This record gives sequence, C-alpha cells and structure tokens, in this order.
Amino acid sequence: MSRIGVFICHCGENISRTVDVERVAQVTARLPGVAIALDYKYMCSDPGQNLLKKAVAEHKLDGVVVAACSPRMHEKTFRNAARAAGLNPFLCEMANIREHCSWVHEDREEATAKAIDIVKFTVSRVKKDRALAPITVPITKRALVIGGGIAGIQAALDIADAGHQVVLVEREPSIGGHMAQLSETFPTLDCSQCIMTPKMVDVANHPNIKLYTWSEIEEVSGYIGNFQVTVRRKARSVDEDKCTGCGVCMAKCPQKKIDNAFDRNLGTRPAIYVPFPQAVPNTPVIDRDNCTRFKTGKCGVCEKVCGPGAIDYGQQDQLIVEPVGAIVVASGFDLYNIGPKPADSPYEGYGEFGYGAIPDVIDGLTFERLASASGPTGGKILRPSDGKEPKQVVFIQCVGSRAREKGISYCSKICCMYTAKHTMLYKHKIHDGQAYVFFMDARTPGKNYDEFWRRAVEEEEAVYIRGMVSRLYQKGDKVVVMGSDVLVGVQVEIEADLVVLATAVQARTGADLLAQKLGISYDRYNFYSEAHAKLKPVECATAGIYLAGACQGPKDIPDTVSQASAAAAKVMTLFAKDQLEREPIVARVNERNCAGCLACKKVCPYGAVEEKEIRDRNGNLIKTVAYVNPGVCGGCGTCQATCPSKSVELDGYTDEQIMAMIEAL
Amino acid sequence: MKHDFEPKIVAFVCTWCTYAGADLAGTSRMQYPANVRVLKFPCTGRIDPVFILKAFQKGADGVLVSGCHPGDCHYMAGNFHARRRFAAFRKLLEFVGVDLARLEFSWVSAAEGGKWVEVVTDLTERIRTMGPLAEFKELETEEHWSGRLETAELKEAYNNI
Amino acid sequence: MNNTAQKHDATPLVAESYYAAVTDALRTEAARLLSEGVVTAVIGYKEGRRHGTAGPAIVVDPARANELIFSAACVNNLALYLTKAKKGVAGTGKIAIVAKGCDLRALAGLMAESQIRREDLHIIGVACAGVFGSGADRREPLSAGNLAGKCRECSVGAPEGADIVIGTLPPLPELSPVEAEELARLEAMTPAERWAFWKENFARCIRCFACRQVCPFCYCEQCLCDRNRPQAVETTPRPAGNMAWHIVRAMHLAGRCAGCAECERACPMDIPLNLLNRKMARELKELYGHEAGLTPVEKGPLVIYREDDDQSFIK
Repeated sequence: MSRIGVFICHCGENISRTVDVERVAQVTARLPGVAIALDYKYMCSDPGQNLLKKAVAEHKLDGVVVAACSPRMHEKTFRNAARAAGLNPFLCEMANIREHCSWVHEDREEATAKAIDIVKFTVSRVKKDRALAPITVPITKRALVIGGGIAGIQAALDIADAGHQVVLVEREPSIGGHMAQLSETFPTLDCSQCIMTPKMVDVANHPNIKLYTWSEIEEVSGYIGNFQVTVRRKARSVDEDKCTGCGVCMAKCPQKKIDNAFDRNLGTRPAIYVPFPQAVPNTPVIDRDNCTRFKTGKCGVCEKVCGPGAIDYGQQDQLIVEPVGAIVVASGFDLYNIGPKPADSPYEGYGEFGYGAIPDVIDGLTFERLASASGPTGGKILRPSDGKEPKQVVFIQCVGSRAREKGISYCSKICCMYTAKHTMLYKHKIHDGQAYVFFMDARTPGKNYDEFWRRAVEEEEAVYIRGMVSRLYQKGDKVVVMGSDVLVGVQVEIEADLVVLATAVQARTGADLLAQKLGISYDRYNFYSEAHAKLKPVECATAGIYLAGACQGPKDIPDTVSQASAAAAKVMTLFAKDQLEREPIVARVNERNCAGCLACKKVCPYGAVEEKEIRDRNGNLIKTVAYVNPGVCGGCGTCQATCPSKSVELDGYTDEQIMAMIEAL
Repeated sequence: MKHDFEPKIVAFVCTWCTYAGADLAGTSRMQYPANVRVLKFPCTGRIDPVFILKAFQKGADGVLVSGCHPGDCHYMAGNFHARRRFAAFRKLLEFVGVDLARLEFSWVSAAEGGKWVEVVTDLTERIRTMGPLAEFKELETEEHWSGRLETAELKEAYNNI
Repeated sequence: MNNTAQKHDATPLVAESYYAAVTDALRTEAARLLSEGVVTAVIGYKEGRRHGTAGPAIVVDPARANELIFSAACVNNLALYLTKAKKGVAGTGKIAIVAKGCDLRALAGLMAESQIRREDLHIIGVACAGVFGSGADRREPLSAGNLAGKCRECSVGAPEGADIVIGTLPPLPELSPVEAEELARLEAMTPAERWAFWKENFARCIRCFACRQVCPFCYCEQCLCDRNRPQAVETTPRPAGNMAWHIVRAMHLAGRCAGCAECERACPMDIPLNLLNRKMARELKELYGHEAGLTPVEKGPLVIYREDDDQSFIK
C-alpha cells in the first residue's frame, strides 16, 4: 500500500475562494493509499514547504501530491522540497487546481468536484511513479568547426581562446572563405583582407587549433559530448611538414593556364597553387585534374625545383578520426548561378540575362575581385571582354532572390548593401563613370546601414531605378539593359559597358549531404534549421551541434561573426561542466519484449534510437533490438505511442502512469 | 446555469503548448465549463490511440486531443506524427460506429488561452446536446459472452457428444 | 459477409492443367535449390489430409520436393513462418518460400520492418488466380462462385520482384468486388447502425487470438493486449474487451497490413475482420497515397509525415 501525502494549497484566496479546500482534503484523505491530506494557506511559502517536509518524515510518505498552481509554476519548488525531505523528486506531482480550476470556474460546487477529481487522478499517477535519477553524460571537451570562412574562424578562435581544443576543417586549400575574396566591406569600407588575414594567421598559430585544410567531413557518429568525426584529408601531393611556402614550385610550373576560381575565373593560376597569396596554410596543393604529371606522367618540374623535397605525387587521401564533444557548422553559402541550370542545382538560370553568356555581365563577387587590390586587375575596374574602363555600369539587384518563379522566395539580405558599396567603389575608382541600380526595395536595416545607402544615392550619385530588368543583350561592345522604372512609369533602356548582377545567396551544393552526415535538419532551400527561430537561433535540434553563418540562412559579416561567437559561447557553456546532467525523462527499451521492427527509430525526431544486437554467450546473434541513447533522447515519447508492443517506455510518462490516471477519472 | 446532463470530457494535451494555453486562460481568469479533466503529456506524439479508447471505455462522453501548431512542436515532429496517427484512428473509430463529434482535435498554442476556452466550451456544449455516450457504457456493463450458440455446426457437434 | 462469395457462376477460372504445370515447375525448382545447396529449406504447400485441401510444408530434403503442390487450396500466407515470433525456421540459412502476390506483399512489409532480410530469402513467386473461399466445395474447380472474397479484387496475381515466377495466368474475368461493396454498404450506414453491426460481430469473438497467431505482422514478442501492467485491453472475451481488442488490432495493422485476409480465414466465429483492414488500407491510400506493395518501403504511412499533411479535422 502506498503512503501518499496530499497537500492542498489555498493560494491565499486564489484557490479557496471557489474551491472548498477543506472538503477536498476530507475526501482525498479517504482515498486508498493516501496517508495524510491537509490544506494550507500558502504551500509554496517556507512554512508550507516545511509542512510538506515534516509530513514526509512523520508519515513515511512514499509519494506527494501538491494540489496548487500549475506545475509550470512550482513543480521545481515542490520537487526540491521533496528531495530535501529525502524523497525522490520524481515521486512528487502537482495537481493544478488553480489555473485549471479555481480561476476558470465560478460555481463552488463544480469547482470543488473538479478539484477532487484532479487530485484523485494525480494520486493514482503518483502511485505508479518511479524514482528517477538524473542522467549524466561525459563530455569530450574538444570542438569541431566545419568551415574556415569568417564564421568558422571566429568560432574556432573563441573556443580556442577559452582553452579548449578545436579541430577546424576546411574544404579548400586555404581558410578564408568568401570574405577573403571581398575587396572592401560595408558599411565602413575597410579592406576585407586587412581585417581578415590577421585572424587567419591567428588560427594558424593558435596552440589549441588543429587545422585541416583541403579536407572534408567523411562521417559523424555519436552524440552530444561524445561525437566521433572522421575527416578525409584529401591528398595534397605536398608534404605540409616539409613545405616552407617559398613558392618556387608555383613559379616554375609549366602549366599556368588554369582558370583561377578564387578570382572568379578572371585570371589564371598554375597547376600547383595556393588560392591567393595570403593563404593559410601557405602550402600549395597540386590540382591533379589539371597537372601534366598526373595527366600524362611526363613533367615533374615542381618535384625537381622543390628545395625541401616536399612534393609527394604518391600521397593518398587519409582518414582521421577525431573525438569531439561539440560541433559548430559554418559551411557557408554558394552564389546563384545564372548560367544554364547545372545538373546538381534545383534552380533555373536567367534566359533573359543571356544565361551568363555575355562576357560583360558579371556577378557581384566577380566585381569584388575586379575592385580588389590583390585581384586579377590589381584593383583597376576593367571589364572582362576587352579590359576597358566601363563608363556606364548597371547593377541589378534581386537576381534569383525573392524570385518565386525561379523557386526562391527569400531575400538574400546582403545584396542591397553590397550593391550600394559597389556603386561607391566604382565611383571612387572611375570618377566620371555613372552607376545605375535596378532594385525592387532597398533593405538596409542595420547599424549605419541606411546612412551608407543614402550616401551612395545622395553623395556618390548612384542612380537608383525602381523596377526590374526584362532583358539584356549585346549590341556592339555595349550591353543594352531594358527595364522599367515603376515609380515614373516609363520604360528605361541603358547602353551599359558592364552589368553587375546581385545574385542570390543559396545553400552550398551538397549542404543536404553534410546535414545527413550530421543528422541535422534543413529547410526546403537546404539552409540548416535552428532549433527555435527566436530562442535557440544557433542551436540545432540535434543536441551538441551549433550553427554559425550563412549555412543557416543569408547573413552579412557582422551577423555572421555575432552568430559564430554565440555558437562558440554555447560550446563553452557545454564544456564548462565535466558531465552533462539532464532530466531523466527519456525513453527506455524493454529489450526482452522488443521485436526490433524499429518503428521507434523511424519516428524519433532526435535520431536517438540505435540498433543493438543481442548475442548469446557464444556470440551468436539472438536478435536485433532498439536502443535509446539517453544522452540524445529529447523525451517526446513519440516512440512509445508508435511501438505496437510498448516495448519502449518514456520514464515519467509510462503507460502505467497514464492508464492509472484515465482509470481514476 | 444547471443542466440535466453534465458530460465528462477528457483532454489529452501536450505540456508545452496547450497545457500552457490552458494555464494562460487561468491567469487571464477566463471562464469555461468545469467538465473537462486535463491530462498532461510531454507531446501529442506521446498520446496513444489506446488512451482515447480507454477514456471512452472508462466513461468519457467526449475526448479532446490538443497540442502545438504544426512547426511549433517542442520536439520538432511529435505533433506531425500525432496528426497522421489520429487522422487514421478517427477514421477507424468512425467505421466501428463512434460518432466523431465526440472526439475533437485542436492546435492550441501557449498564447491561445482564448482558443482553449472556445474549444473546451464548444465541445462541452456539443456533447451536452448529444447526451451521454451510451455505446461504450452499455458494452462495459455486458458481462456475458453473447455469441450465437445456435449455429448448425455447433448443434451438430453438440448432438454428436 | 465473409470469405465465401455468392454461389453462382461455376465456370473454372483456370484449367486443372495449370496447377499441374505450376506444381511440376515448383517441385523442379525446389529440388534444384535444395540439391544445389542454394537454400536449406523450402517453405511451400503440400496436400492436406482431406481431399482438395493443402497445408504448409517445410521441405529440407530434395528427395521430398515432390511433396510440394500448388493449387487453389493453398490459402495460407507462408510469410508467417519467417517471423521472429515463429522461430525455428528462420536463422538456419537461406530459405526459399513460395509466395502468391498477397504473400509477397507481406514479405515486403516484413523486410521494411527489419524482420527478414531479402538476402536470406529465395522467393518463388507463383502466379495465382485466387484461392478458395471458406465453405467452398473442394471437389469443384476454382470459380467465381467459390473464390475467396479478397481474391475478387486482387491486383497482384502475377507477383513481381520474386527470384523466379512460376506460371503464366490466362486472362481472368473482371469480378464484382464484394469486399469493396460491403465496405460501401457499411460506410453508408449511420454510426449507430455501424456500431450495432460491429457490436454483434465482436460479441461473437471468443478471443482465441487465431487472427493474431495467423497474421504475419503480429510478430510482437509480447502483445500489448496480453499485458496486465497496465492492462490496455481487457483480456476476457467480454464485449467491452472484444471491441477494444479489435480496434487496437486494426490500428496496429494500419499502414502495415498486406491484405492477405488470413485473420478472417482463421476466425472460427466468422467475424469479417478483413473489412477493418481493408477500410484502413483505403483510408491511408486516400490520406497519404500509401498502398501495400510488392517492394519494401522503408517507412510506412504512420511512421512518416509531411509538413503539409491534411489537418482539416483539427481545430
């Protein structure tokens, strides 16, 4: 027989005004298994809690029901009181007779009857409660950061500065990401490389950061605090330990006619290369697809000229397993391609813009390279077709963004600002030139952002034309831009020397594949989903994985850096404890009964269910059953409702507890 | 106002949205019929169709299942799974002859105290006019196996003994 | 309504020679598989003790492959013998199984639910014109008059996805779907009428659990309905418990049932159990476009969701 104590709170008069609390106590005292039932003015007050503690000891209670306010209000309070009295806190339940009863009903009879019912079924529940112990999960205090753009760099530096080991994985031969490609940044027009490269060097020199460039994530297993990450180090063909970064190999490489992707194919690079002069690490990589040695077997110049003997044509991909406790995903973005639809892209290009076939129609990032002092033109703005200075430049915004007919309805967020910046950079370099901007709306929220845009319009004389462009075509050495000015209501035709398209920010190609490896969710555009749009903006729903930068959605540099630091802070919070402690409301599998249909695994929103093989003592497989990892389980109980044999049970909400309540109704 | 028949309504709700919504109705001192008994679950995803059946068997005249709006689930997808489960289950109940007017599903967020009141009031009033759910109660009182013993086969078998 | 179709139209659906040819081919294939060591056992059918009946047979010796038969009396869904609840057959090596289209659907379902693995099976598909309904006079050939109700609306006569398919069916006549008609009749009733219909039917239930034992998908190690802490479903054959049992059973099979109607065939009290299964199958097809098919689908309709699923029934 249980020994339940029932404590009915008056809540001043909040409950007792409509509920006859004395009667509730009298009736419930007679319920089977109830050892004592009493009412008190304020159960949550110190004397009230002491009353509870004293009763637990005096009456040797093995369960407590506090009939008072909502458990969302005081469940913690009373569970702590129960714990202090030596009772397992999960044997203490609240019966909500205030929010769900006295406050919403006026009739004293009805309210009292309802209150008695509520206490009754709560008593039935408590009888089936089991003592639960908090779950602890050990934490490996090392973090993985995926992506070496500004987001990844910032997150890695923050975590490393806090004293934790960081593994930073970058797909390209150098860290730096898109920010390294930019010329100057809004709204201050400071040189991107000047603020970026010191941070890159910090990463390289930081004792707590292990940097893997030219590497990709192969596999991720494990869970919060205990991930195992397999990193594929692609064969660089250059021994990083021996290479001094002298650059002789690059200078002597006979194959120099390869499009330089870093410069948006405006310039060329050798087959052995670093993407840009300030690359970190400053170790070249051999582009095996274009290297004569790898294509024909004849050459080997770099090997001959390399003083330290760092060239290694036989190098193989390496798989390295890194144990980490938290993961920051900062894998960045790609730009919308207006050319014909690539095989791996869901999006159409722009036929009306010539599908990218007109040489003097470029995208914003190409313009950045033209304007960059370290770019292919040394910072002179010269158009790609004939290298002449463009005197009339047309900028077109929202190319691919907010274009539902192309399959993208979101705003890319950065284009309004960078187009305004482009008009300024252009004006500063070609004083007699004229910039035109076709735009839908100018969206400039942000500190000093609108001021910056107004400056472009009012001081730097960029002509903003509200409307979209319907067609572009080549006419002689000009590009004719046909559009409409919807404010004035006229058709506009401009003979431009250069057209710059503000193409949409989109998720990285293959972002979905990385998400599947990580077990995180993504939206219909393949941007990664945060756990809560407002309150958990950097956490993934998958515990222990955090998001930073444009992989989660279009973002400018200040937002990206803020988010990266926020993600780092979350990692540090996690690492501040040696063990992760969590509420023991998790699902458990009854392995004896489990038939292994794995329906639970299919519905689990957390990926917490694994397969577990049950073997006899000779190692023969008896059966495969489900196993719920308590570190990962979120405690929703969808598995139990799905399981036909109820072989998985959610602690704290077992069928026994729930059925007991229903039967007591 | 007193009524001839006071139905027993059982509500299965998730703790994050609807339970909080009902709390809000309380803190806002809204009024609704006292017929409903609220059972709290972590998520609608935890609510097993067997519980609804059990509630009807144990005398509920109406059942309400309520949780977070789609996309608001604290556990991301629990309510999506629940939605399919109950879409199928209500079809089954309907097919065995349960009047679906006795079973209500709703999404009530933590901010929708008013909607909670409306849902509970509407359901209570509807069931008040429908009267008690006699079917399950009658079944519950029938003690004896009521199979037809008079089949030709059985008679033949009996005669052969 | 039960598996017995209307007593009319005794025109044979397929010639006797068809079954003889299929039986021959089946024996040859079984003998080859066993003697070549491709499989350790063949699960098929053999002649029953009474004339015109057949029962399950497990053959491990190639010399006894000639015991196997195929006829319209081969009603059993042999997939049952591969599930975990019926241990002893599985786990002894690769096994061949004779499967009609409806049986193959059950195999596909069991594969999707990790109960069996395709690589452990050698599936001998048989093209099937249908099986006898209960009460059919076995001296007569299979006809529209004595065909099982489920077979009248069968869409998987010639199974696809098997390792081998034996037999080619002659064109079969289009038959009126008696189960669908019965379903429509019930759906047209008022809830009270339906309740009366089922109450009467379920009241007959003696809880022998034949429906459960014969179902390939009832492979749980312990049935929810056998548990008593807590007791979800009353275990005695009282009307209340019977109703609950049949509702829970139909719900647990929703989206999984392969439609073999073995539950209904095995029921000694002639409860039209397949009506419930067919109803749920049709609802899930209408709601989510799901149909039990011949190839395994990893996630059934009730363990998956779409964000834009219908929610017109939710306030």
